Amino acid sequence: MSQPTPPPAPGSSDRIAPLATARSLAMAIGPPALALCIILMLIPPTRTVIYPAYLVGYVFWFGIALGGASLTMLHHLTGGTWGLLIRRPLEAAALTIIPLAILFVPLLFGLDVLYPWARAGGADEPLIAHKAGYLNPTAFALRAAFYFGLWILLAWLINRGTDRQDQTSDRAPSRSLARISAPGLGLVFLTATFAAIDWMMSLEPDWYSSIYGAMLITGWGLATFAAMTLVAAALRSQPELRPVARPRVFQDLASLMLAFVMLWAYTSFMQYLIIWSGNLSEEIPWYLRRSRGGWQLFVAILILFHFLAPFLLLLMRDLKRRADWLLGFSAAILGLHLIDTIWLILPAQVRDPLSPQVGLPILQLLLVLVATAGIGGLCVSFFLDRLARRPLMPLHDPAVDGLAHLRDDETDDQTEAYPAPAPTPRA
Amino acid sequence: MAQATLRHDETGDVPVLGPGHTYGTVTDKISSIVLTEPPRPGWIFGFAVSFVLLLMFLFAVLNLLVRGIGIWGVNVPIGWGFDIVNFVWWIGIGHAGTLISAILLLLRQDWRTSINRFAEAMTLFAVSCAGLYPLLHLGRPWLFYWLLPYPNTMALWPQWRSPLIFDVFAVSTYATVSLLFWYVGLIPDLATLRDRAKSRIGKVIYGFLAMGWRGSARHWHRYRTAYLLLAGLATPLVVSVHTIVALDFTVGIIPGWHTTIFPPYFVAGAIYSGFAMVLTLSIPLRSYYGLKDFITDKHLDNMAKVMLVTGLIVTYGYLMEAFMAWYGGNPYEEFMILKDRPTGPYAHTWWLLLLCNCTIVQLFWFRYFRTHPIWLWVISIVINIGMWLERYVIVVTSLHADFLPSSWGMYHGTIWDYMTYYGSIGLFLTLLFLFIRVLPVISITEMRELVHEVHERGHARGGPAVTPGTAHP
Repeated sequence: MSQPTPPPAPGSSDRIAPLATARSLAMAIGPPALALCIILMLIPPTRTVIYPAYLVGYVFWFGIALGGASLTMLHHLTGGTWGLLIRRPLEAAALTIIPLAILFVPLLFGLDVLYPWARAGGADEPLIAHKAGYLNPTAFALRAAFYFGLWILLAWLINRGTDRQDQTSDRAPSRSLARISAPGLGLVFLTATFAAIDWMMSLEPDWYSSIYGAMLITGWGLATFAAMTLVAAALRSQPELRPVARPRVFQDLASLMLAFVMLWAYTSFMQYLIIWSGNLSEEIPWYLRRSRGGWQLFVAILILFHFLAPFLLLLMRDLKRRADWLLGFSAAILGLHLIDTIWLILPAQVRDPLSPQVGLPILQLLLVLVATAGIGGLCVSFFLDRLARRPLMPLHDPAVDGLAHLRDDETDDQTEAYPAPAPTPRA
Repeated sequence: MAQATLRHDETGDVPVLGPGHTYGTVTDKISSIVLTEPPRPGWIFGFAVSFVLLLMFLFAVLNLLVRGIGIWGVNVPIGWGFDIVNFVWWIGIGHAGTLISAILLLLRQDWRTSINRFAEAMTLFAVSCAGLYPLLHLGRPWLFYWLLPYPNTMALWPQWRSPLIFDVFAVSTYATVSLLFWYVGLIPDLATLRDRAKSRIGKVIYGFLAMGWRGSARHWHRYRTAYLLLAGLATPLVVSVHTIVALDFTVGIIPGWHTTIFPPYFVAGAIYSGFAMVLTLSIPLRSYYGLKDFITDKHLDNMAKVMLVTGLIVTYGYLMEAFMAWYGGNPYEEFMILKDRPTGPYAHTWWLLLLCNCTIVQLFWFRYFRTHPIWLWVISIVINIGMWLERYVIVVTSLHADFLPSSWGMYHGTIWDYMTYYGSIGLFLTLLFLFIRVLPVISITEMRELVHEVHERGHARGGPAVTPGTAHP
């Protein structure tokens, strides 16, 4: 597997010291871990173990790449100072769809391991035969090629537009970005839904749920916000970011994370409640597989730490304004998002949902970490390289106007404006 | 005046407030509709028509109470008809108010200021209309309290697993919080009206409702805290009410009802229809009462954008529903979604619904349609009709052809169904016409605040600023 990362331009990657350090770390971990994954894919006895683990790692990083493009486009539509702080990380994350497109190729050689519909005789089952026109290896690959083509095009367009805006104070590039963003966001939502159906829902080809795409997309949105907040908090002392790396902006980012925590919980719980109350034989196995054989532990972790704890913590304004606290918090959210992704993908391997409980696949869970590190190593170093090549803050973005009104002593409500609080001196 | 509001400021945006306004002009303009103007002929005419419709509603309901729900078109396979369709339609319309008041407040969207009061009032009246339908559908509405969990000797206890019971609590909570939110927001304005009222009776009533408001710093501080807390409380309610309405359907495993995308797409649909109703009402209102400086073209543009987004989410919902009906391979689901609805006896409603909700709203991609009030007004009415049809398609088609052909049937609304439906529009409009005459349709307080903010912003940019002048009480 060749490294998709282009050689860094002279002096660019080292421009920002923390980025260079993180990048060399990612480069040290990524390629060996990825090589191990590829080797295991080539050995017949281990390929059944590594492919699902690889898919988990892949989907984890894919969500952040797609979230990068989506949130960039969202920011072009809505504006707001929160986007200034994370815009460059978002744009760089959107570009990681390029290495991810290459890293998708190994999956095509393991379709028979992952998907019952791709196995020999898999389409003999009447329910699968019904949708064989949609679920077959050729159609799967063609659709993936279409999705990646679209996503790469959008990632390229938003990055090109932002480069142009950096060079001129005329707002024309931003206006054309806003024009692309509205249809772009809709197209990404739609293609991401079908990617979620293709890559994850069809792991259990007889199961279906119409909220699935929305549920996955909100999870990816949360992961993206967590990753971007992490990057922003780590870079908070960079001189370029000084105008925006302020408590008020971090508070906004944390509030947006809260919104996504709630959306994720809402979509997940609605799917559960509807399927539980319907209790139909074609729907309920999905939850049976995921609530037995040790997976109930994952359910408990997700409810407590993917919803309840972040929900309560993110209600506290003092915490939300602290970048150092958000750094650790965002890292924890990313870890929990990985647990969520594992829980969505790995239990699908249990064919009979009522089979005797076999316990968690411990080896496979360890391999998930290897695959996540391998794919992540490449994506992160690509991301860091892209991030370091440009100014850390967009130079002439329309949202820069909002900075003039940004006051840290002002909170998101007006309670403290009556009576007006004493102005707090800032260093 | 229309020319003035179209003037772009330095950033190329249409302003959220017409130029040249001060604290005084804002107060005069908004309070004059209530205090000094005699009823205008248009108002009298509109009120009279609405009142006639309201009387028709009362007549239909009286007949219902005397003769029972047999006068409606509901029958054995189709036990939910116009009553549930109208319930969902009205409750959906009632969502825009809280969204505008609470969520847009928390998101610091200053353009919400001039439409929130009006949208909240609309919410309250729509929820009142909505609440009547399930009660009337009970057959014996005077026993409504049987829905509540209270100790009784009949061994009667609600089924807590049923979303119909969640509905009782969701809707009543929503109505209560919306009412409180509206009232708390009104208090400073009621004090303004009290101070400016000429008649004794006006002074007493507004004075009573203003609860001794004097505008002291402490009053403002507490008012703001209460208002914000209520906004926080109201936010989850925007989602919860229509989610539970969606669960009413999905928990039933009838083909076409049991699909997991329902809750989010019902919520989006509710906001969609709510904004459509806000536009349907505010466009004539702002033109008739000359409020174009307050409800500017910027507001209309933003509302059109919200409708485009929610319309696309609704379309996504239809698409997912249809795709999963095929992908899932359940023959009943497939028959209902892909065969009966597009080609069955109710096909015309389904095609009309796609035309109204998914196709016509695409015009909002173009600025021309978002900024021309007449187009906006027509499209918003089309969307109101489309959202009614959506509920009709969901309720009626799914029930009319379920698993066994022997239990299939047909449903058509009777004259009494239509009278109740149009009558409830009369109830809604009557309340709205009264509201326009007795309370300020736009929040005077928040408009004064907006004048101040626009002034400050003008200073910050160094451009020509409006001078707020001295504050009125």
